[in-house]
Amino acid sequence: MLTFIYPLYYMLINSLKTRTSYFTNPFGLPVGALQWENYTTMVSQFQILNLFKNSFVIAAVTVVLLLFVCTFASYVFAKYRFRGKKAVYLAVIATMFIPSQVTIIPLYLLFSKLGMVNTPWSVILSYLALFMPEAILLMTANFRGIIDEMLEAAEIDGCGYFQRLWNVIVPMGRAAIFLSIIFYFITAWNDLFTPMIFLQSMDKRTVMVALAALMGRYTGAPTLQFAGLLLSAIPALIVYFIFQRNIIRGLSVGAIK
Amino acid sequence: MKVTSIGNERARIRRREILLSLLPVVLILAVFRVYPIVVALAKSFTNWNGLYRSDFIGFKNYVDFVNDGPFWMILRNTMILLINVPLQVFLGIVIALLLYEQVPGWRIYRAVIYTPQIISAVIIGFLFKIFFGLEGPFNAILNAVGLQGLAIEWFGNSLTALGVIVFSIVWFSIGWQAIVILGGLSAIPPSVFEAAIIDGANYWQRAFRIVIPMLVRVLEFSVIASGVWSLTQLFPFLFSMTKGGPGYETSTLDYMIYLKSFGMGFGTDYGSATAVAVMLLVLVLALTIMEMKLADRADDWG
Repeated sequence: MLTFIYPLYYMLINSLKTRTSYFTNPFGLPVGALQWENYTTMVSQFQILNLFKNSFVIAAVTVVLLLFVCTFASYVFAKYRFRGKKAVYLAVIATMFIPSQVTIIPLYLLFSKLGMVNTPWSVILSYLALFMPEAILLMTANFRGIIDEMLEAAEIDGCGYFQRLWNVIVPMGRAAIFLSIIFYFITAWNDLFTPMIFLQSMDKRTVMVALAALMGRYTGAPTLQFAGLLLSAIPALIVYFIFQRNIIRGLSVGAIK
Repeated sequence: MKVTSIGNERARIRRREILLSLLPVVLILAVFRVYPIVVALAKSFTNWNGLYRSDFIGFKNYVDFVNDGPFWMILRNTMILLINVPLQVFLGIVIALLLYEQVPGWRIYRAVIYTPQIISAVIIGFLFKIFFGLEGPFNAILNAVGLQGLAIEWFGNSLTALGVIVFSIVWFSIGWQAIVILGGLSAIPPSVFEAAIIDGANYWQRAFRIVIPMLVRVLEFSVIASGVWSLTQLFPFLFSMTKGGPGYETSTLDYMIYLKSFGMGFGTDYGSATAVAVMLLVLVLALTIMEMKLADRADDWG
């Protein structure tokens, strides 16, 4: 069990040391004054708050759009009957198996034609398309379990499409919706590949892209690197520990990867 | 007469609801997933440089990559890295069973074991790089216990580097495995385990005689899912630890796509990169179809 916590502890103690005391003893607690400079440098010189903002905007907008689009589609897939439904559903799910590396080059050129390279939209739209099939799979499976009578009763009471969605589907399917919010927020926050390709200008980068640059350049300042690694991990970890029960429960029913 | 017109009106509204609900999804997927895959497929037969040059050259990209490129090296690396799959599934079973039998403190263990999945693979990769660096803590321990001979530059040699990468992947993935297998376990009637314990079956007998046979379907899923994952999601691990090197000695297909298209000067080798991408796609699809076939068979039995 310790093996899973230790790296976090290691980052914490060493981010508060000087370079020399790290190399003398990387395992011990920091001796002498705590080196908060490592953290203030991350904020002042490395602009980590601006990076947090960039990552947050991308992750949050992705999740909002994703839920919006997927809730409509999953409702129809789960509760409507029409010709060709199975074919459309399977086609949507099948796109899940296209690795993102395969599409990255044509996407890059498409976004540069649309003038969206170096804007958050290139990353948001890529994520949206990337996460959609899995989110629809999860939500459709969940919405199928909602009892038809409730929807019929709502319809007889004069509820239109949006009212049925808002008053029946959303409250009854909240477990799947909630899991998607947390899970895809964390996934978007942690991703490196897509933003690294699409966002090159310094002020647009996400935390992970900037972190990769920091780790490559400041090899002489390992304690500063530890501060950067730990700070970048913290937001996702906070989200996880708040919603830990929901995530674990959701994962054991509908496996997402 | 009136009834049918109301019926028609309703059918018309339903059709509009279906159409408008699905349209955004279909459009987004068509533009950002299907269109790029068609372009990639078409361009893999050209000497495309991302701009104006795009002449049809047949299968040359594919043939060149297999004959002259680091293809065999990459195949070897992929095989070695796939060792992570049986390791993580095995450890996942062991841990899932401990959690299932509710060892004291299991709730905390369940929460903690999943934390690596929450930390970005980039962060994990860099941490492992520091831990196994020449002057890193791992070598410091080896030196302290008198094993100086073993304190080597772990990333200097492709086999030890791949070993460290496999270790980091297993460490990262155990939590996911354990939770998925735990989900499968809760579907087995508890009486099965109770009977086994009364009959005197020990922990390992319960793991191998009950869990594995009863969870065939779940284990198949987790093997294929982590196999596909290992083929497509290793970029952050490789980028942070070895950058695919030395040379191509720790590169994989997905890393080659990056190197060929963005890593070695912009757009030099797009045609060839898309050919590698198509190979990766074929490999992933083959694995996925295999998993669906297995699923069908399991349904026949069920």
